[in-house]
Amino acid sequence: MVDLPPDPISMTIAIMTSPLFLKIAIFPGLTSIGIIAAVLTWLDRKITARVQLRIGPQYVSPLGGILQSFADLIKLAFKELIIPEKADRFFFVLAPVFGLVLGAGLIGLIPFSPESLISNVEVGLPVFLAFVTLSPTLVLLAGWSANSKYPFIGGLRSLFQQTGYEIPLWLSSLGVVMMAGTFNLTKIIQAQSTGWFIIPQLLGAIIFLVTSVAEQERIPFDLPEAEPEIIMGWQAEYPGFLFLAAQGAGFVKLYAFSALFTTIYLGGYLGPGPLPPLFWSLFKTTIMVVLVILLRGAFGRVRLDQLLRYGWTLLLGLAIVNIGITYFLIVGFPTI
Amino acid sequence: MEPLSSFFAVSAILLGIGVYGMTTKRSAIRIIFSVELVYNAANLNIIAFSRLRNPPLVTGQVLVLFSISLAAMEAAVGLAIIILAFRLNADIDLRKMTKLKG
Amino acid sequence: MTDPAFVVIAAATVIGAIMAVEARDLVYGAASLGISFLGVAALFILLDATYVAVFQIAVYIGAVVVLILFTVMLVGPVKGEAPMELKRTSLFAAVLVSMFLGIGGSLANANAFPGADMCGASCDLQKLSQTLLVNYGTQLEVLSFVLVAAVIGALTLAKAEKD
Repeated sequence: MVDLPPDPISMTIAIMTSPLFLKIAIFPGLTSIGIIAAVLTWLDRKITARVQLRIGPQYVSPLGGILQSFADLIKLAFKELIIPEKADRFFFVLAPVFGLVLGAGLIGLIPFSPESLISNVEVGLPVFLAFVTLSPTLVLLAGWSANSKYPFIGGLRSLFQQTGYEIPLWLSSLGVVMMAGTFNLTKIIQAQSTGWFIIPQLLGAIIFLVTSVAEQERIPFDLPEAEPEIIMGWQAEYPGFLFLAAQGAGFVKLYAFSALFTTIYLGGYLGPGPLPPLFWSLFKTTIMVVLVILLRGAFGRVRLDQLLRYGWTLLLGLAIVNIGITYFLIVGFPTI
Repeated sequence: MEPLSSFFAVSAILLGIGVYGMTTKRSAIRIIFSVELVYNAANLNIIAFSRLRNPPLVTGQVLVLFSISLAAMEAAVGLAIIILAFRLNADIDLRKMTKLKG
Repeated sequence: MTDPAFVVIAAATVIGAIMAVEARDLVYGAASLGISFLGVAALFILLDATYVAVFQIAVYIGAVVVLILFTVMLVGPVKGEAPMELKRTSLFAAVLVSMFLGIGGSLANANAFPGADMCGASCDLQKLSQTLLVNYGTQLEVLSFVLVAAVIGALTLAKAEKD
């Protein structure tokens, strides 16, 4: 592929200092995903606590407990892995780890700035959404492999929820594709230089936000891990490090979906003035993350039949209405 | 660019595995696996064939898009039939399902 | 067969297919079928059909594998032990498989089919969508009707009978 010096040591050094490897390993790749997932765990707990008139993590460091998640990480990493006897070991371990891999793959598609882009595929948006459709399979396998009632019920609920909300997710992002004329995420950002897509696509943006919160199984759509009912759902039997992987996968997905929302609706790294594009994309992503976390404190849990009914009828219908509105915005309203 | 005959070879091997599964397995769900394998072999073959002309035809990709959708529908209906058969017989061993009625 | 990426992907596809048909536990079979589908999607990408590859991942692995897993968990394995004697069906199947393997092996002669090297504007996404909507628009609408019929059929079949 590239010209590598034949000597193994200098070949390793040449690979490790190549820009692609640095992007994958450090930013916006693996290391930064790990740090951001830990920071998001803390942010989630802190904001939820403040909304509920509590204080949240405060002891681990003088800065409001920001190192709490790192302390949890170290604790969970050293815990003994107790896997249930009749559980299917292969899928039990594989499912959350693969969920983390999937989340990391999602981040690799997002253009955070014109320089720090890992992969610029022409079909960037469908690839992202196709990876999202892989996660119900993993959750079902995770819930089944624990060989216990509550995780299986949680896994099935999660499967119904995530599968049902996939179609509105695809259809609402179709409005953006119609307006930009391309699937490529970088070109979608550049097409927003005349105006962010959230203004003509307000309905689509709201539908996208609701369906992405449902895809991540966050509150108010947290029926698969309803604590008083089925004790963390499909994650109930997961010990130590695997629990960390399952939770971490959830927060990486939060980061990925918020980053996608800013890319296709809020203009990505476009922003005025002297501040670098990287700052703007991270700033907008942080706003979206905080918004989704605030939803956690604001709404009650959606019931299963409500959830399925709204996903399959109301949101689907609204997404199609959005496509119609976008069509008329592009072609021009018919003169009567 | 990999020579096209390798893609044909992979498609033929997948077809062979699919037909083997369809003819020798008892469980109805294995038959569904095998049918999906045959579908995939055919799709791969069509996409590989569309590269035979220079410049490549895009009709092959259109045909495969239709084929993937139809395969998914067929799997859904087939699995519904299997669930119904399970409800009636409590077993999905295909060697035992020899009568049309009862 | 000088491309190592192709060899790895093709090997994963074929091994996944064999394990899907031969694995004792149906859930392992469904998961290896998923790996096989992923391999086929990667082969599509190698043939410059990127949108079809994404479609394959989203539909096959995202929907069909989930359906199969769900049915497997609902129905369970076939009861009773496997027959030990070599039946006529197995013989026939073995002959058929060796035929196909023979075809496959003989096709692996690299000069048999010269393929187009450049894809350029023909594999462009725009050309694909134009062909799909302009030349095959009617067929697309008929496909949607078939989808509706399939959904109604599957729902009717799987509905619990309340007499």
